[in-house]
Amino acid sequence: MAETSLTWRVLLVASLVTAVLAALPLWFSGYGVSSGIVYFANIALATAWALFSGPTRYISLATASFVGIGMYTLAFTQESVVLPVSLALAGIVGFVFAFIVGLSTLRLRGVYFVIFTFGLTELMRQLTSWYEINITNKLNRFITISVDAIAIYEMLLVLAVVSVVGSWYVSRTRLGYALRVIGEDETVARHTGINTTMVKVLVFAMAAAMMALVGGVYALRYPSIDPTVGFGNAWSFQVLIAALLGGPGRPWGPAIGAVLLVFVSDFIVGNFSQYFTIALGICFVVIVYFIPGGVAPRLEQVYRWIGDFPVRAGPPKTVTSPTSRPLPEATPASPATTNGSVSGPGATAALRRSRLHPFMRRITMSGPRLVERGDASPAAGAGLSVHSLRKAFGGLIAVRDISFDVPAGGITGLIGPNGSGKTTVLNLITGELPPDAGSIHFQGEEIIGLRSFEVCRARIARTFQLVRVLPGMTTRENVMLGRMFGSDPKKPAIAIREADALLERVGLSNRAHLVGSQLTYIDQKRVEFARALATRPQLLLLDEWLAGLNPTELQIGIELIRKTQREGITIVMVEHVMEAIRALCGHVIVMNAGMKIAEGTAAEVLSDPKVTQVYLGEEDAAA
Amino acid sequence: MFEVVLNGLVLGGMYGLIALGLNLQYGIARMLNLSYGEFFTAGAFSSFFAVTLYHLNPMFGLLVSVPASFALNWLIYRFLLLPLIRRAPNQDALDGDVVLLTFGLLFVFQGLEQVYWGGNVRAYYYLSFSVDFLGARLPANRLVAFFAALVLGGLLILALHKTRIGTALRAIAIDPIAAGLTGINVLNLSALAYALGGAMVAISGALVSMFLASSASAGIVYTLKALIVIIVGGPGRMGGALAAGMLLGVAEQVGGYLVDPGLTLAINYSILILVLLIRPTGLFARG
Repeated sequence: MAETSLTWRVLLVASLVTAVLAALPLWFSGYGVSSGIVYFANIALATAWALFSGPTRYISLATASFVGIGMYTLAFTQESVVLPVSLALAGIVGFVFAFIVGLSTLRLRGVYFVIFTFGLTELMRQLTSWYEINITNKLNRFITISVDAIAIYEMLLVLAVVSVVGSWYVSRTRLGYALRVIGEDETVARHTGINTTMVKVLVFAMAAAMMALVGGVYALRYPSIDPTVGFGNAWSFQVLIAALLGGPGRPWGPAIGAVLLVFVSDFIVGNFSQYFTIALGICFVVIVYFIPGGVAPRLEQVYRWIGDFPVRAGPPKTVTSPTSRPLPEATPASPATTNGSVSGPGATAALRRSRLHPFMRRITMSGPRLVERGDASPAAGAGLSVHSLRKAFGGLIAVRDISFDVPAGGITGLIGPNGSGKTTVLNLITGELPPDAGSIHFQGEEIIGLRSFEVCRARIARTFQLVRVLPGMTTRENVMLGRMFGSDPKKPAIAIREADALLERVGLSNRAHLVGSQLTYIDQKRVEFARALATRPQLLLLDEWLAGLNPTELQIGIELIRKTQREGITIVMVEHVMEAIRALCGHVIVMNAGMKIAEGTAAEVLSDPKVTQVYLGEEDAAA
Repeated sequence: MFEVVLNGLVLGGMYGLIALGLNLQYGIARMLNLSYGEFFTAGAFSSFFAVTLYHLNPMFGLLVSVPASFALNWLIYRFLLLPLIRRAPNQDALDGDVVLLTFGLLFVFQGLEQVYWGGNVRAYYYLSFSVDFLGARLPANRLVAFFAALVLGGLLILALHKTRIGTALRAIAIDPIAAGLTGINVLNLSALAYALGGAMVAISGALVSMFLASSASAGIVYTLKALIVIIVGGPGRMGGALAAGMLLGVAEQVGGYLVDPGLTLAINYSILILVLLIRPTGLFARG
């Protein structure tokens, strides 16, 4: 299949390049070898940096911290253990350190994260200096192992190759995909079943382990290291420039950037050393204005122009060959087949079927704990039951002790004037907000306290009042992510087929390749609907999904909701379009000022004087 | 101990002073200007040249550096930052671009200073005698800078709260989009805030140069100091910046006195990291 042959092609090219580079020192002078060392170290570091920072857009200046940790781990352990163990320890210490740092800081966004990572490096340098001066009484720490320059060259070559091929590989897995979703919209990521914290922390730590390894090997070049060598900010900045110059969105972009940067710096230092900083600064300005996405996408354009080759990062876009038999799940009616009363066991069986490493499954996918709990009591009240739910924002009580039941299999309307607390109720159900009091049971299980991604895995999906389609991903990718991370996660190849089936159902097949930002408002709403269905919900929460549609589109929308309900999915819709409420909702709850003021069939509540009063005001209702 | 705290306050006043300009640029105009410190060293150099070349009072340097820095920063906003603002799809993307651009400018300015003014550390003597202040002996030049910080900070606070433009700037600091909807010309006023920030930092550079030596490569140190102060105090809060500066100054001095003078910077960064983790909007921010 196309995917496999691409993998082999990449591995073949990578091993050829590696073999040639590995053999080069046979002809190289000492200068060649030491240049190679600098090139490979920068390639490995920039690629590792972009593995995390590229898709998530967290600009990290912590590279120097991890390089320094690697150097110092090596220096501290060099006399007690053999070199390979010492290097392995460097990687492990880097990983653990980054893991702990990431857990506490990856909720900082934008500039705050930049400043934090910078401060972290400064702190590490200050503390190390203090330790060396006051405890060991010497600022320099000697590297006692002597390793041949060629050996350092080969080790860094291996790290550079592992870094590039590894990050290419990760970009094609579910983990890489999850990172991209987080970069596009973290809220959507949470609501499609991605454990955002774990994904971020894990990849951050993986990248840090690579940086620490590079640091460990690089330290072997020096007779001694000191805190300004290890924790020097130059590491962080150089790596950042290299990655951005090359293009952090592509697996080999940072490598290209690193090569260019080292080459250009060498050239400037050699010829115009006095103007080095000025030239470096101008490079930055040029990158920002003229090549904002980096060099790699430009090179790809040229390459594509020469010949067609699937070079885009991320999950493959090529549909699997027609010879492969479609799985039963791939049919459009799939939600119905697994969403009946036997859904629980079906879901676990599907989990067992998906051949993924158990650890990977734990972090990127379904929480087995939840599925199993659901299994235990499949018959215990399949609907949603909200009891005495309360939420206040400061002095404003948005939801005031509301209680209601949503019968399984039906369509329940949640209506009320603007500001009556409807969306807040949805946010409380999906774990976006913590309630002040009350309980929410779904299929007999308490779901308060679950985080958004766990709620999604417990088979509750939602759409957003303000549409949240991922602007940088295609329509198909937007829908795929529901299938890849929802309650029954599947590998990209399977997710593609199911996404296409869902796109056909919402009438978007011909727009599968458009990116989210190119879609019209209506089409974005369709994408959200399909994405929510792709997570295989048993309960679907629609937040004013029909708002803003024209009469024809409204009819299509109503049909789509009805069809979804007939397949066995329970629906709760927050809505203002009375026509749709009359047509669809067997059960309507009316809210006003955070309280439930009426409940019953659509006809009952709409003729209730209390309801007309809140909608129309006292006088008009009386008239 | 009292003397240690007093020293810390005076030091912290200087930190607050350094941060005022960046607080206008970052807190109000929302541009994280990493080349900020280069204008600080330019201010310091202008005073140095006023003293050494022309044998004038160091404050004469301000006559050149303040208008020049104001104009240059306005031009940077208008011609370099504005295209990025127009292009950026969201604040995250803009922040990334601005960090990169100003980082480039940092190198360009630093390089220019090195080429034209040399890489040496420059210092001169002015008011370098000690005076009695509340029972402690403090260098006169540091005291001058301390009171200048209070006066400038006070003036800024007054201007921001008592004038129409000041009110508009505060509105921009809170929500530029909403400010635009009320008829405030956000881009023009942001450019003004950015340029004023440039003028402020040139003043602080001149004042600090009376007692601290400066060199072409020292700029980034002051940028970072200012940044820490702003993050701790809460972006856009002038009083917060002064208070945070003093908090950091006192913590540094007391920590150095009680624990080890080698740890002062570590203490600064620890405070920064703690604030980021516990209250990322800053200690003195609203709400």
